[in-house]
Amino acid sequence: MGSITRIAVLPVMLVLAALVPFTGNDFYIALGISILLNAVLATAWGLFAGPTKYISLATAAFFGVGAYTVGLFYERVPMLALYPIAALIGAVLATFVGLTTLRIQGMYFTIFTFGLAELIRQLMTWYQRNVTGSVGVYIITDITARQIYWSLTALLALTLLGGWLLARSRYGLALLMIGEDELAARHSGVRTTAVKVVVLALTSAIMAVTGAIVAPRWTYLDPNIAFNPTLSFMPAVIALLGGMQRFWGPLVGAIPLVILFDQLNARFPTTYTLILGLLFMVIVFVIPDGILGLLPKLQRLRGAAPAPTAAPASLSAPLVPSTPTRTASPGVDGITGTPRASTLNGAVLLEVNGVRKAFGGIVAVDDLSFTIREGEVFGIIGPNGSGKTTVLNLISGVYEPDRGQILFLGRSLAHKAPEEIARAGIARTFQLVRIYPALTCLDHVVPAALFGGHVRSLAEAREYASELLEELGMGQFMHVPAGQLNFIDQKRLELARALALRPKLLLLDEWLAGLNPSEMLIGMELIESLRGRGTTIVLIEHLMQAVRRLCDRCIVMSFGQKIAEGTPEEVLANPEVVRVYLGEADNA
Amino acid sequence: MQRYTRRAVLGLIGTASISALLAACGGGQATPTPAPQPSPTSAPAQQPSPTPTTAAAPTPTVVATQPKKTLRVGFAISKSGPYAAGAGITIYPNYVLWAKDVNDAGGIKLSDGVYTVELIEYDDQSSPEEAIKAIQRLVNQDKVDLLLPPWGTAMNLAVAPVFHQLGYPQLGVANLSDKTPELVKQWPGYFSFLGTSSQYSEAVADLLSDLANQGKIGKKVALIYVDDAFGLELSEAARKKFKATGFELVYDQGYPLGTTDFQPILTDIKQRQPDAFVACSYPADTLTLPEAAMVVDFNPPVFLTAVGTAFPVYVGKFGQNAEGVMGLGGIDPKAPGLMDYYKRHKEVTGQDPDRWGSPVCYASLQVLQQALERVGKVDRQAVAREVATGSFQTIIGTVKLEGNIYYGNWLLGQWQNGEFLALWPKNKAAATPIVPKPAWKK
Amino acid sequence: MTSILDALVTGLVYGGIYALLALGLTLQYGVARILNLAYGDFLIAAAVFATLLYQRFQLSPLVSLLLLLPASFLIHLLVYHLVFVQLERRRGSWRAMEASSILLAFGLSFVVSGAMLAIFGGKLFSYSYLLVPVQLLGSVVPANRLLALVLALAFGGFAYLLLVRTRIGTAIRAIAVDPDGAPLAGIDVRRWAGLTFAFGGIICAASGVLISMFQTFNVPMGVTFTLKALVVVIMGGVGNAVGALVAGLILGVTESFVARFISPGLTLAAVYGLFVLAVLTMRTGIFGRALR
Repeated sequence: MGSITRIAVLPVMLVLAALVPFTGNDFYIALGISILLNAVLATAWGLFAGPTKYISLATAAFFGVGAYTVGLFYERVPMLALYPIAALIGAVLATFVGLTTLRIQGMYFTIFTFGLAELIRQLMTWYQRNVTGSVGVYIITDITARQIYWSLTALLALTLLGGWLLARSRYGLALLMIGEDELAARHSGVRTTAVKVVVLALTSAIMAVTGAIVAPRWTYLDPNIAFNPTLSFMPAVIALLGGMQRFWGPLVGAIPLVILFDQLNARFPTTYTLILGLLFMVIVFVIPDGILGLLPKLQRLRGAAPAPTAAPASLSAPLVPSTPTRTASPGVDGITGTPRASTLNGAVLLEVNGVRKAFGGIVAVDDLSFTIREGEVFGIIGPNGSGKTTVLNLISGVYEPDRGQILFLGRSLAHKAPEEIARAGIARTFQLVRIYPALTCLDHVVPAALFGGHVRSLAEAREYASELLEELGMGQFMHVPAGQLNFIDQKRLELARALALRPKLLLLDEWLAGLNPSEMLIGMELIESLRGRGTTIVLIEHLMQAVRRLCDRCIVMSFGQKIAEGTPEEVLANPEVVRVYLGEADNA
Repeated sequence: MQRYTRRAVLGLIGTASISALLAACGGGQATPTPAPQPSPTSAPAQQPSPTPTTAAAPTPTVVATQPKKTLRVGFAISKSGPYAAGAGITIYPNYVLWAKDVNDAGGIKLSDGVYTVELIEYDDQSSPEEAIKAIQRLVNQDKVDLLLPPWGTAMNLAVAPVFHQLGYPQLGVANLSDKTPELVKQWPGYFSFLGTSSQYSEAVADLLSDLANQGKIGKKVALIYVDDAFGLELSEAARKKFKATGFELVYDQGYPLGTTDFQPILTDIKQRQPDAFVACSYPADTLTLPEAAMVVDFNPPVFLTAVGTAFPVYVGKFGQNAEGVMGLGGIDPKAPGLMDYYKRHKEVTGQDPDRWGSPVCYASLQVLQQALERVGKVDRQAVAREVATGSFQTIIGTVKLEGNIYYGNWLLGQWQNGEFLALWPKNKAAATPIVPKPAWKK
Repeated sequence: MTSILDALVTGLVYGGIYALLALGLTLQYGVARILNLAYGDFLIAAAVFATLLYQRFQLSPLVSLLLLLPASFLIHLLVYHLVFVQLERRRGSWRAMEASSILLAFGLSFVVSGAMLAIFGGKLFSYSYLLVPVQLLGSVVPANRLLALVLALAFGGFAYLLLVRTRIGTAIRAIAVDPDGAPLAGIDVRRWAGLTFAFGGIICAASGVLISMFQTFNVPMGVTFTLKALVVVIMGGVGNAVGALVAGLILGVTESFVARFISPGLTLAAVYGLFVLAVLTMRTGIFGRALR
């Protein structure tokens, strides 16, 4: 009952909004257009910036391009055809921008986008001057304010619907993961760049259509108007003030704020800018998480669950235990056929040949070679700073080797991005746990299953993920935000996320570190059970006890070089290893 | 869940009101000058914030016997954003001055009584959307009797359909464009008092031909223009006319809006030794070009820059070096009432008006007032018709529009002894051109 | 040949102001980790004061430089400690406050320009000072532009020596790399970041005073200067003093050459072309990694 009310709120509001023009007061239409314009731009902006935390200041660029599309072609092309054209141009432009800049992170991206609007303005000026011989365009149509009002209402409805669908889809979750921890997302198999570019293109298309809708209202366009920097600032400000935890946060910001700005501007025409500035600063201090942040924090933690609309909700929704695709005794890995006992004569899975990696002057890994066979548990040990984690990062694609090559199943991993490597079947955990505190456990595992590429539908992924969590003994935490888990469970969650990719090779980076003795035992048993099922595992470990018990073979590293290789017993008897290792152990 | 929604709504309202409160307090504390009263304010109290007026206003001589009525006159103008400069120089002070002048003189006499003018103003933030909204607010919420136009072609065009639809005459001043004759067919209440762009370009070519015929200059012209609507319109018409009158364009290049470094351009031009240098420039460029010319020692017989030459800040900046520079606009100090206007403007608004748009803007307001008085009531359609067809006595002389455009302006002027004197059209000239221009003093 | 040399020399001199402009911002963002969107507005404030002092009291801008630079230092120090540090305290870490700091910087920008708008409106400011032609390697350049170049080189050199050659500089760079981690290394982040921010403020005011000598400006133009500075900052690499200097000069030379030998209409297009090029190369990691 309650949820029906909540789901109905937005559509009802939109319908009510659509009735405003019938009040007969044109001022309300004008104010409404102002609100709608800002609401659409802010919502579109927030759809991308909210989950990813990429603060873009290029809204004016896309808006202007859309407006100019109408300005330049409205006499030759029917209006209705111009909206999709504007959307297309906006999307193409955004794709270009995204491909060139989305690898840049944080504030750097913000600065670039700030310059982008200016760049596009220059290009447009240049184009117009050389093609049409003037800089301004007259747009004289018989489109009325009401039509523009309704078009914007419809666009807002579409944008909100899009936001709702996005939040429910796998891409919504992927975006959230990118915003929280992009690297971890990539190791879950998320093609982060592609996801970001697609969403940026879609939201930019909305901005372009907004420009196309509004342009006829202004009669005349020149680059100053179409690419007015205020058009970039305002949506960002409104979305941030509204709150970006939900896709409708910017809308919640737009309505009161535009009315407030309007009132302030009307009452204090001379000191408006000053008041606005003070207001922003006060709001940043008083309601840091925006208007949405005023809602109880709990709502936010539950995640995603409560809102009718928020994405993870649907993903975490209880399963329908129907599809009996599960095998009698589901292998955690689910890929290879028969579990095999530890053996040294399996097929070669990973081959590392003469790999070297240096950072500045420091050689982290030098001329390292080893081979891992299917089904074995392979240890990499060595004192702190000996380059173990670097090896893992080289295998999983975080770094590219300076020299040498890494072959996985006979194919080179050179120039492969982490997400491609993850999809190819190499999963990893992190030395320092990288989880998303606000997301539920299920939401950690589902995307890995999805983006790992072996399940088709969300439902299937959900089912697979919950089976996996059950098997790892985490069934009761399925819908608990990961931030509330204790340490071992967070580690288990990471493991589950890695396993959800159905990896052929699992890289565990000091997975046992930081566990207390009893947890350690549980942990070792868990790894043994994986091994018993035939998963090939690379174990970076500090604890000799664990190495002895778990590893079939291992190498010992010191200062980036391999100093010994063999079974744990052989290796630990090596005098060089004893010197390097125990020397350090004494110090410790 | 219902409760949750209600709580959210309450929260929203609470936030909004708190922030409004904070904003109000913040504004109160931080405004450096006595803040203008929240509009609507009656015009005489409305001072432009910078300088409090020192001069005592002449006390009204006529004491009206019947109770005064108010004529509500509204406008939205750019007080912030890129258009604030132009609006603050040419338009806004004249609105303030006019309202004060009208009220000091007793008001506007209509058939049912004498009306004092009350100004209601908003900031359009240099945004067309805000401008449209402000006009709708003025008409629908504030119920104004008349509207005054904003500054700039873009802003005037943005609000034109609204003025038209609501039936308000739009006596535009800073809406110079070659497209105006076409536009007025669509919007019969749309006027333009500064004329058309090509009028000015043609005047430039005519003036130069005249000088060439007198043997004062040769036929080599260097033309530069800002890559913006007005600069392009101006240069295009000038180019045509130069070619038609046998001038040789030794240099013809555009430069982007916002250019600050003119040394490379002028170095190049100097080598081509033009007789006349014509820059279709905007104020910032106009105020920078002479500096670059001084540095590279480029001193052609005719040095003509476009918008901004007629600004008082120009002569303030260059002093003696302004002497002989030509530009758009110009005035004739002997025109009746004009110098009085300049004196009053400075007293009331604290700033010296420019020698081009300002007097025209004031004249447009006089036209509006006279048309209103002739009609005798606030019948906006009739007022528009009267403006279009009548002839009016103003500070810039007799104004009669043709096709909703006033073509009778002083088009070109030259700084001579600290005043920007009209040179063209020749029959209205206030001075003869000083050619060649005196050398730059260092 | 002579004209090429001339274009080069004048370009370098005119690039000086870009270099100076960007230097302050690059230090502010690079070290204090604040995208100071109010940069251009503070610059305009300095320019307005210099103009008023010159026009009302005939005070030479060079003298007002001595007044305005310390004033700007203090104001920026105050702004940093009263606004941004307070925000950081509330948020718990620099990383957590990035989005909020942008909002705050917007607010600050509006406050600074809004206060000036309320007083001066859109009024144009313009005066000439030090417009003395100076012979330099066979070219003529105005002394005020030359002064901008000299100041840019002086401030840039100072910043470089300070950051690269001293222990304090090492500390400051550590903050730039990891503001949240630096306290662990015993560095008083707030103190040093605040001082660097204020040093950026000095350069900001110096640019403002110099710009007022040769450029017409008004209050709403602040954002234009912020934008211009940002473009140079990106090209030079954020937080990189030498990069900002070089990028500024390259920009000046590019504008000069394009205006002289190609077409004045393409100067800005060329500038933004360079900008895109810089971003594209950055992506492949020439500057990218250091700038994370």
